Amino acid sequence: MGFLSADNQNEIKHLFEGLAGEVQLIYFTQKESPLFIPGHECETCKDTRTLLEEVAGLSDKIKLEVHDFVAETEAAREHGIDRIPAFVMTAEGVKGKVRYFGMPSGYEFSVLVGSLLDVSLGKTDLSESSVETLRTLDKDLHIQVFVTPT
Amino acid sequence: MAIENEHVTADVIEVNEFPHLAQRYAIRGVPKTVINESVEFVGSVPERDFLAHIQRAASPSGS
Repeated sequence: MGFLSADNQNEIKHLFEGLAGEVQLIYFTQKESPLFIPGHECETCKDTRTLLEEVAGLSDKIKLEVHDFVAETEAAREHGIDRIPAFVMTAEGVKGKVRYFGMPSGYEFSVLVGSLLDVSLGKTDLSESSVETLRTLDKDLHIQVFVTPT
Repeated sequence: MAIENEHVTADVIEVNEFPHLAQRYAIRGVPKTVINESVEFVGSVPERDFLAHIQRAASPSGS
């Protein structure tokens, strides 16, 4: 069963009309296994994949790419993914990395939709002076924002 | 900010799914932001303040 109701889907489709260009949604998960290996379970990997597939299905501009975190170490390393579920959102013009770890459910779902729109534009609605200040940065910055879905 | 600058990696982390990180970063309230392991704050802040935190983390003594 899907996560998005018909109403949700219509609303999101409408928002996705604002997508400027193609967005790559690069998802890292694990192969589904009938075996339960303690310490290696990923409780939300399957649901996150279903949700991302539903979202990607709402616009031709969202290209979902699914990687096996364990088997495809090269891809995981390239994006610095060290835990799952995780996804990277990128598009032409995006200079840094935008990543999400965990399942974007509840209130966090709007973060997913908003990020896809921002990424597709390759720019943000930050003030000009902020963009200018950011341009002067020459040191790597890792910003981690910890959230809960409710 | 990551969209605008090649030096920035911006992560959103669902903390309930990664309890070891909740412990490591002593998460008691959300949203909690940690920049380069050196600057942290809880709650949403105005853009200007966020930028000031970024500049602090980026300063030579920032990390």
